[in-house]
Amino acid sequence: MSKVATVGVIANPASSRDVRRIVARGPATTANDKINMLVRLMEGLGGAGVNTVISMSDAGGIAAGLAGLSTRKSASNWPVLHFVDQEITHTPTDTVTAVEHMAERGVDAIVVLGGDGTNRLLIGKSGDIPVASISSGTNNAFPSRHEPTVVGLAVGFLATGRVDRQRCSYRAKTLQVSDGSTSTKALVDMAILDGDRIATGAIWDVTSLREVFLCFAEPHAIGLSSLGGRLRPVCRRDPHGLRITVDERSNHRVLAPIAPGLVRDIGVAHVDVMSAGNAVEVDVSSGVIALDGERAHRFPERRSVTVSLDLDGPIVLDVQRAMQLAAEGQQVEEHNARPHTTDPSQTHPTNHEGESND
Amino acid sequence: MTELDRLAMYRQMVRIRQYEARIMQEYHADKSPAWDIGAGLIPGEMHLSAGQEPAAVGVCAHLKKGDAITAPHRPHHFALAHGVDMNKMTAEIYGRETGLCRGKGGHMHLFDPDNHFSCSGIIAQGLPVACGQALAFQRKGTDNVAVAVAGEGAANQGAFHESLNLAAVWNLPVIFVIEDNDWAISVPRSASTAGVSNADRASGYGIPGVRVEDNDVEAMFEAAGAAIDRARAGEGPSLIEIHTLRLWGHFEGDAQAYRSELETVNERDPIPKYAASLQELGDLTDDQIADIQAEADAEVDAAIEFAKSSPEPTAEDALLHVFA
Repeated sequence: MSKVATVGVIANPASSRDVRRIVARGPATTANDKINMLVRLMEGLGGAGVNTVISMSDAGGIAAGLAGLSTRKSASNWPVLHFVDQEITHTPTDTVTAVEHMAERGVDAIVVLGGDGTNRLLIGKSGDIPVASISSGTNNAFPSRHEPTVVGLAVGFLATGRVDRQRCSYRAKTLQVSDGSTSTKALVDMAILDGDRIATGAIWDVTSLREVFLCFAEPHAIGLSSLGGRLRPVCRRDPHGLRITVDERSNHRVLAPIAPGLVRDIGVAHVDVMSAGNAVEVDVSSGVIALDGERAHRFPERRSVTVSLDLDGPIVLDVQRAMQLAAEGQQVEEHNARPHTTDPSQTHPTNHEGESND
Repeated sequence: MTELDRLAMYRQMVRIRQYEARIMQEYHADKSPAWDIGAGLIPGEMHLSAGQEPAAVGVCAHLKKGDAITAPHRPHHFALAHGVDMNKMTAEIYGRETGLCRGKGGHMHLFDPDNHFSCSGIIAQGLPVACGQALAFQRKGTDNVAVAVAGEGAANQGAFHESLNLAAVWNLPVIFVIEDNDWAISVPRSASTAGVSNADRASGYGIPGVRVEDNDVEAMFEAAGAAIDRARAGEGPSLIEIHTLRLWGHFEGDAQAYRSELETVNERDPIPKYAASLQELGDLTDDQIADIQAEADAEVDAAIEFAKSSPEPTAEDALLHVFA
C-alpha cells in the first residue's frame, strides 16, 4: 500500500514577463497558461495517489485561480489542496518563504513552475527534498520541458514510494560567488559583465560580457549556458563545470542562442574546466554579476571575488527516469501483449536527463 | 537607446513629487467646507501621482520633440516629465486665463498641442487617441511614437482591447503603458480582472508585453527604451505594465479605509529608495540632494505664484472656443 504523500507546489507568477519579450523574442507564459499547467499537474499528482498538495500563495492570480478551480467537479481526482499562509511581498522572498514552510512540513517532493531564476531560490532551502521543475520562464536551462501531467505522475510515484528516489534523482551543482563578506549562488550560470546597470535584470547585450561560469552546458541549451554547450558540453552530473573568458577581439568566434530568438556571435579567449570544490579568484573591476541570466549585484569598486563549483544544489527528480522505473514496476500479463506491443516495460531504456547530451 | 542619466531622472522625480506635494497643500488650504470639491482656489477633483514617478520618468527620458502622450485622470507626472510648461499647467489647474486651456479644462483636461500632450477623465479614453496619433506618424513617415498611459483598472475597458487590436493590425508605433497601482479607485485587481497581468493580455494580440516589478525607475527606463526603439524602427506596438505605487488616495479627500496595505505605503516610496541606490553608486551626495530639492521648491513655488496671480476668465470667455 502506498504511503501518505504530500507535495509542495511553487509557481512563480512573475516569470516570463521581462524585457526579453521586446529585446529578444521571449515567449509569453501567461498567468492562465500557468494555472492550466498546475491543473494538469494536479491531475497527474492525484492520479498517482498523492493525498495533499501545499501550494505557495501569491498576488499574481495563480493561487487564486487554482483555488477557484479546485472546488469544481472536474477537480474531484485532485489531492486536497492547501495554501501556505504567508505574507505576500511581490518579491522572490515569497518563493523562499513558501519553500521553507514546505520543508518544515516535511513534504515528500516539491514541484517548481518557473525559470532558472525561480529554481535558484531553492538552493539551500529544499534540503534533501526531491524537486521537479517545469519550465514557465524565458531562458530555461534548468527546468524540464516535460508535460505537467506526466511530471505530476512521476512526482506522485516518487512521493508515494512506488519508485526508488535514489534511482531517479541526483544532486544539482551550484556556483558560489563570494567577496569575503557576502556570498551568493547560481544554479546554471554566473556571469561578470561591464557596466553598473541591473535594471530589468535580463541580459541581451553580449558586448558587455567578460566571464561566464557554468555548472553545466548542454548543446541544446538556450541562454548563457549555450555558449558552453556550443564549445565544450558538460552534463548535469559531471563533477566539473566551465569557465569561459569572453573577448570581443578574439578570432575564436562562437555562435550562441543567448535568448529566445537571439543568436549572437561571441568572441572567446579561453575555456577552462572548473573542478568541483576548487575555487577560482576573479577580479571584478566595477562590474555587474549576473546569476542564472539575471543581472543581480553590482560592484562599483574594484574587488576580487571567489567563484567555486559545489555539489550542494537541490535534489533533482529525473522525470523520464522515474517514469521508466514506474513502467518497469508494472505487472502486465504477458499473454495480452502482442509481439509489436507498445507496453512501456518492453521499450528500450533511453538516456536520462543529465546522462546524455542528446 | 538613450544614455542613462541617473541624476536627471532623480531630479525629475523630485520635481514631480514636490509639485504634487504643494498642489495637495494648496488644494486643501481653503477648501471649506472640506467636502465641497467646488470650493477653494483649486476647484474640482484632484488625483495626484505621488509614488508613480518612475513610470513617467522612465518613459519620458526616451521621448523627443514630436512624440505624443495621452495620459489619464492622474496626469501631472507624465505632463511634467514630457515637458509641459509648469506655469501654464498650474494656471490651468487653478482655472486661470493663462492656463493651457485658458482655465476651462482643469487638472484632468490638460491639453498642450506644442508638446503633443493630452489627458482625460474618461477611463481608457487616451488609448484610441494614441493609436490615431501613431497612425498619423506612420503615414507621415516620421519616426515619432505615441505613448498611451492608463491604469490597470482602465485595461478592463473595451477601448483598451480595441486599441491593442488596432495597433497590432496596423503595426502602429504606439507604446501602451499600464500603471498598475493595485487599486482602481477602491477596487483591487483580484475583484475585477480575469488574468491579472496586462503583459499577458498583450500577448493575446501578438504584442510583446513586459511587466516591470518593484516600481523601479531604471527597469522602466530600460524596458521603455527597448519598446520605443522598437516602435521607431517600425517594428510595431509594445505594452509595458509597471507595478507602481499610489502613495496617496485615489483623489484628495479619499480616506482610503478600504486599503489594507496602508501601513507600509511610505516604506515603498520609490524616491528615497532611488536616492539610496545613487548614493551607494557614488552618483549623489547629501549636498546634491539638498540642492535638487531646493531647485524643485523654487520652481514649484514660482509656478503656483504665477497661477494665483493670473486673471480668472470672465463670464464672456465662457462663450469663446466652443463648438456648439
